[in-house]
Amino acid sequence: MTQKHESRKKGCHAATVLSNVRAGECFWKMRLRFSGEAAGAFARFRPGQFIEFDTSDLAIPATESIPNALRDGARRSVLLRRPFSFSDVAVQGDATLADLLYCVVGPASLRMTTLRAGDVASLIGPLGNGFTVPAGKRTALLVVGGMGLPPIRCLARLLSTEHKDVEAIAFIGARTVASLPLEERPAAFDGGLSLSVPTFATLGVHSMVATDDGSAGHRGPVTECLARWLQENVDRDRESLIVYACGPERMLEAVAQIAAERDIDCQVSMERRMACGIGLCQSCAIECRVEDSTETVYKLCCQDGPVFDAREVVFGAETA
Amino acid sequence: MSVEFAGRKLANPVFTASGTCGYADELADFMDVNALGGFITKSITLKPRRGNPTPRIVETDAGMLNAIGLANVGLERFIAEKLPLIAKMEPAVFVNVAGTTIEEYVAVVERLAGEKALAGFELNISCPNVKKGGISFGIDPAQVEEITRAVKKACRSKVLIVKLTPTVTDISVTARAAIAGGADALSLINTFTAMVIDIETRRPVLANRTGGLSGPAVRPIAVYLVNKVYREVAREAGIPILGLGGIRTASDAIEFLIAGATAVAVGTASFIEPDCATQIVGGLHDYCVRKRIASPAELTGTLAGPA
Ligand SMILES: Cc1cc2nc3c(=O)[nH]c(=O)nc-3n(C[C@H](O)[C@H](O)[C@H](O)COP(=O)(O)OP(=O)(O)OC[C@H]3O[C@@H](n4cnc5c(N)ncnc54)[C@H](O)[C@@H]3O)c2cc1C
Ligand SMILES: Cc1cc2nc3c(=O)[nH]c(=O)nc-3n(C[C@H](O)[C@H](O)[C@H](O)COP(=O)(O)O)c2cc1C
Ligand code: FES
Repeated sequence: MTQKHESRKKGCHAATVLSNVRAGECFWKMRLRFSGEAAGAFARFRPGQFIEFDTSDLAIPATESIPNALRDGARRSVLLRRPFSFSDVAVQGDATLADLLYCVVGPASLRMTTLRAGDVASLIGPLGNGFTVPAGKRTALLVVGGMGLPPIRCLARLLSTEHKDVEAIAFIGARTVASLPLEERPAAFDGGLSLSVPTFATLGVHSMVATDDGSAGHRGPVTECLARWLQENVDRDRESLIVYACGPERMLEAVAQIAAERDIDCQVSMERRMACGIGLCQSCAIECRVEDSTETVYKLCCQDGPVFDAREVVFGAETA
Repeated sequence: MSVEFAGRKLANPVFTASGTCGYADELADFMDVNALGGFITKSITLKPRRGNPTPRIVETDAGMLNAIGLANVGLERFIAEKLPLIAKMEPAVFVNVAGTTIEEYVAVVERLAGEKALAGFELNISCPNVKKGGISFGIDPAQVEEITRAVKKACRSKVLIVKLTPTVTDISVTARAAIAGGADALSLINTFTAMVIDIETRRPVLANRTGGLSGPAVRPIAVYLVNKVYREVAREAGIPILGLGGIRTASDAIEFLIAGATAVAVGTASFIEPDCATQIVGGLHDYCVRKRIASPAELTGTLAGPA
């Protein structure tokens, strides 16, 4: 079980957009500034927690700049808020700054691209339970699948500042080089462990890249890199290791299995369609095992998660 | 701002709707729940229910479909874990009751009818997302009357609201049946059965195939249905209506009152603005001041023009 450690101080907050730019082929980066009470609430933001972003009254971009695949979707009005993680959170004087990395995949994320510096966004948070770092851990294996990067990147920062005794290693996977949500591309991708990926290297974190099509790093699923590393380091005390993962559910399932086979602790950040994010609607069910029983129960991704102990989760429920 | 609703005095006519406001503690971070006129719990069933597999929701234009499947903690855990908190609330609290047989509904109501803190019950015979019970009671007038009568007997002095489905040919027929069975009030509407298809996979998006449509998209239909039931059935019978469906603003709420509702409930809109219901209380107050109206009760059924 992941512990619940957050203060329950969540609320509806305003954030000022400091910048909002296209940061790669497939994703955007928005920097937000919280002040006043919100600054305090978000100063305690834990990696893996999330926010609910209101895009319902944002404009849509000019038709020319809407990707063809999204033209139909762009016409849909947006009603519900959308959940997003932060990839970085920093306290600066009286304010708290937060970075949001997002993929443009539908009407809400498309509207987010029209926010400009100085605009004010409405968001609810901080929500859910983030990653925890149990005592005695020496090595954290961070596994990323595509847009699962933000909470893991946020965790890498926390480990490098508050858990200096824990060495972090990142395994970053994506379908192809273009879908790697990295702001700065390395000069050359290294299939092996190196400091070549700036996003992690600046935190002193070694990393390894894998793409399904071999366009960067290792060709194949990122889970092969994780399994190989564990194979090469079998002599490490398994109690000192922990795996953290965020990405598509299929990847999380594979990561969970690798960790379970070696009896290594593993925390996964799950995703569900959420209508509210605050426990009102019951839309975000995750099937979970009950300890010492063959029974399962539904827990709520937004309240009991989104970070779960991998042993608990029954994967594959949502393949849509 | 106070109104009388089925013999109960409410501080104001604004409720939060069943299934969209949890068991109240979830909303407490965002608003003063005591500023509400009424509160309706998520549907409670005799035994706990897991609910449907995911995806349970999908957004559509100005609305959403849900197929939660009445996931709830069940009567015993509700009493042990949720009731103590709810009992401390000032608004009139109604427990929404669902089941697969008449006996199940009656068992839940019997068990709770002695709870002093409760104002009454809302009978959910209109849930479109379960295989047995729910809407299958709500579309057959004979069954509506029978279940209402059975539950009313178990209710003791508590108020019984019967929640109607809009997925019928003539909602006035089911409204009449509920009143014949002894309903003290009617609430309408529950969601409309609907479907969204993923054109890549040619499958329904929801695991349950269909779901209930709610949100601003349904509001004009809900206003029409409230007005229809008010004119054709409720006014004459002296039975109040709790109007809901797509309410987001005070103006929306006022439309329902003018159409014939005595009180209103906020559902889907709470997901977007968790304090939406209390904001509406404020907006309604401003309207009454502007129009020199002493109580929102004066608005009920004041639709002008030919009937
Ligand atoms: C806790 C959490 C944290 C998240 N953090 C981030 C983040 O940091 N960056 C980021 O880019 N995205 C993140 N997401 C995903 C993000 O919420 C969605 O991309 C966003 O809701 C898309 O909205 P849209 O209107 O643009 O597209 P939509 O039209 O809503 O969705 C686009 C496509 O994705 C599908 N889809 C939408 N939501 C889901 C889902 N939950 N599971 C499976 N399929 C889905 C839709 O069917 C559609 O085909 C996070 C999600 C969760 C639950
Ligand atoms: C996610 C969700 C869950 C709901 N659960 C219930 C429920 O348990 N019992 C019930 O009687 N109605 C339930 N409803 C219906 C609402 O109470 C309301 O009748 C309907 O959504 C229309 O109002 P709205 O458009 O304001 O949401 C649910 C609605 C939604 C959106
Ligand atoms: S998203 Fe509404 S309960 Fe989790």
